Amino acid sequence: MQEADRASLLSSPVGRVLPLLLIGLLWQAVSASGLVDPAFLPSPARVGYAIYDLLAGREIRDNLFITLWRAGLGLALGSSVGIWLGLMMARSPVFRAYASPIVGGTYSLPKSALIPLFILWFGIGTTTTVCAVFLACLLPMVVNTAQGVASTPRVLVWGAEALGTRPRAMLWQVYLPHALPDIFSGLRVALGFSFVLAISSEMIASTNGIGKLIFMYGENGAYDYMFAAIACVVVVAFLADRLLLALTEKSLRWHESARGR
Amino acid sequence: MPEVPKVHINGVSKTYPGDKQAVQALQTVDLSIKAGEFVSIVGPSGCGKSTLLYVVGGFLDAAGEVLVDGKAIAGPGTDRGVVFQEYALFPWLSVRNNILYGLERGPLPAEERARIADRLIGVIGLKGFEDRYPRELSGGMKQRVAIARTLACDPAILLLDEPFGALDAQTREVMQDELLRIWLETRKTVLMITHDVSEAVYLSNRICVMSARPGKIVEEFKIDLDRTIPREQLVTSEAFNKARNEVWISVRHQALAAEKAAHAGS
Amino acid sequence: MTAKAVSQRGLYFRSLISVLTVIVLWEAGARAGLAPALFLPPFTKVISEWWSVCADGSLPLDLSVSLSRAAVGLGLATAIGVPLGIAMARSRFLHWLFDPVIALAFPSPKIAFLPIFILWFGIYSLSKILLVAFACVFPILIGSFAAASSVNRVLIWSAASMGTSRMTMLFRVVLPAAWPRIFASLRVALPVSLITTFTAEMVSGGGGMGATLMYSQRFFESPTVFAYILTMLCVGLLLDALMLRIQAAFPAWSTAP
Repeated sequence: MQEADRASLLSSPVGRVLPLLLIGLLWQAVSASGLVDPAFLPSPARVGYAIYDLLAGREIRDNLFITLWRAGLGLALGSSVGIWLGLMMARSPVFRAYASPIVGGTYSLPKSALIPLFILWFGIGTTTTVCAVFLACLLPMVVNTAQGVASTPRVLVWGAEALGTRPRAMLWQVYLPHALPDIFSGLRVALGFSFVLAISSEMIASTNGIGKLIFMYGENGAYDYMFAAIACVVVVAFLADRLLLALTEKSLRWHESARGR
Repeated sequence: MPEVPKVHINGVSKTYPGDKQAVQALQTVDLSIKAGEFVSIVGPSGCGKSTLLYVVGGFLDAAGEVLVDGKAIAGPGTDRGVVFQEYALFPWLSVRNNILYGLERGPLPAEERARIADRLIGVIGLKGFEDRYPRELSGGMKQRVAIARTLACDPAILLLDEPFGALDAQTREVMQDELLRIWLETRKTVLMITHDVSEAVYLSNRICVMSARPGKIVEEFKIDLDRTIPREQLVTSEAFNKARNEVWISVRHQALAAEKAAHAGS
Repeated sequence: MTAKAVSQRGLYFRSLISVLTVIVLWEAGARAGLAPALFLPPFTKVISEWWSVCADGSLPLDLSVSLSRAAVGLGLATAIGVPLGIAMARSRFLHWLFDPVIALAFPSPKIAFLPIFILWFGIYSLSKILLVAFACVFPILIGSFAAASSVNRVLIWSAASMGTSRMTMLFRVVLPAAWPRIFASLRVALPVSLITTFTAEMVSGGGGMGATLMYSQRFFESPTVFAYILTMLCVGLLLDALMLRIQAAFPAWSTAP
């Protein structure tokens, strides 16, 4: 087969899914051969049935929604505050001077370490989770927004000034649009963090949510349901990421990196 | 009563606080530009030509004063349109919206603004490209949009900072003819910075030569050419080449003096 | 003094002011009884608790357990991720084979897989090390792949025209050219290794900083909670500073501007 033909075949939708199918087949082969205790590795069929059962029932949907709601709320709050902080840091040297050591310091602290502290303060439940997600999403948004704003070329600012832009309007008209690509890439990182912190927090201490559900299945020995729930999380996280990418592409059609035309 | 100059630069100096020591970019520059004149500033690299333009544009503070129509400037303004070498188009706006940008800050109603924008798009020859983004345009096209965007606000003064420096030779010639045509039509007051002496002679009726840093204007040339004849004839004519040689020698003189000073200093 | 040195000094000074302000406000607020002692123990109490857990050896033990788990996991991820990433850049087939799995798994929260690792490997170090490796391998793999793919073709061509064999090409051209970006991905993976270790310990116990942290929380020992969190913060800061130092010591390791 020609090089080009082979390449297009490999990158076709079927070609891209094939490796996953191969893994599925491998999994099935290992299960069927009895090499591994079925308790440790339920067969794909059993996990598949568990997924179907879960999706049909309320449990996973209710808990998944709770987790997504917590992650989403924390993400929204963290991003808005983060964007605002990033703007301030880029535009005010004084603010940046005193805030950047603190901002830089929080980079090194695993936000999940604060979960026990939040449990002390707020008890187990949504507040703790949302706080943890909020703090985790803050930093990538601050850093990326500040970077996007600070890298605005001065001729762009000057050009806008010469066309009559008021100083207060500069923010919306020039700085934020210019920072948009960076903001979106920060958002992608923050999205990932929101899932991690939401599930971590639920696993550590919560009465509900998909993290708690996974753990509970594990403790009760319902391993096929445990695998199923984890699979659901993986798919949801993947879809959320793709959704954000699609949104990014749509909003950044004007950017140099955009494809097409 | 003598006519008030359109732009009057009076004793402007500019010093930058440097990393190791202060750098003086401009050294008491005096220049008077009458309405409708096309003045070019040429000089060796790094002599502060662009700095002077930015001061006149109101983007940089400096000692001395810049008067427009007799009044001191207070920062950037729509009376002085600026075209940068790097185009400075808003990448997130289409060609049309870039051109409309300046108009939106004005008092005109929406239909009038749209009419002006469409006319300008026609003038610069980009009909059919209204909805494209800057990233889809070539360098020459981008600079046309930049010029149209500036013209949309109908400024009395045009400040051009090496506007064609980023373009290839052929595009540069086409753009020079465009600019000449626009100037002949609108008779705006133009102050242009360029390192290309031929370009300065081709377009301007007055050329100021700047010394090396710290820059000041050391020589002036009045250029009086018949710009109605075709480019091939004009550029090969004796008058053109005489003027070009004179200016070029003056600039070279400054550049050599700068080199000598640099070697003496080090 | 150059402007740069002045601004560096200024930076340290301002950092100090920020940190001291936080500490002073903390102490004052706690002493003033703004919040119950449970919520906000005075800073001095936290420090004295920190001192006592250091002295009796429990903090150093926990720290060494956690750090060794993170280090081994990170090392494992590097040993797998770097060669695989480079191999994927050079072999279309490998790229095709692994890319969908990576694309699917990368956005997912790796902590969700902890119960699987516990099921297979127990609650002590092995499961945590492997989870850390699992979490860290993705950024390292992706970074190495990107780095190896973007080695300037001109470099490869000129080496080839000088008669370089494939093996030599790999070690003398591709690897050195890609190294700065690979190192950058290691810097990114470092905090991931720490976070994953601490979180896994908090969720499932089995010794280490995270486990003790949860234990203290359950018994409402807030000075200990604060002390451990501060220690984690300092460890994170030190390790990142260490990475920066290493990068500075080998200028060829930083990405070109």
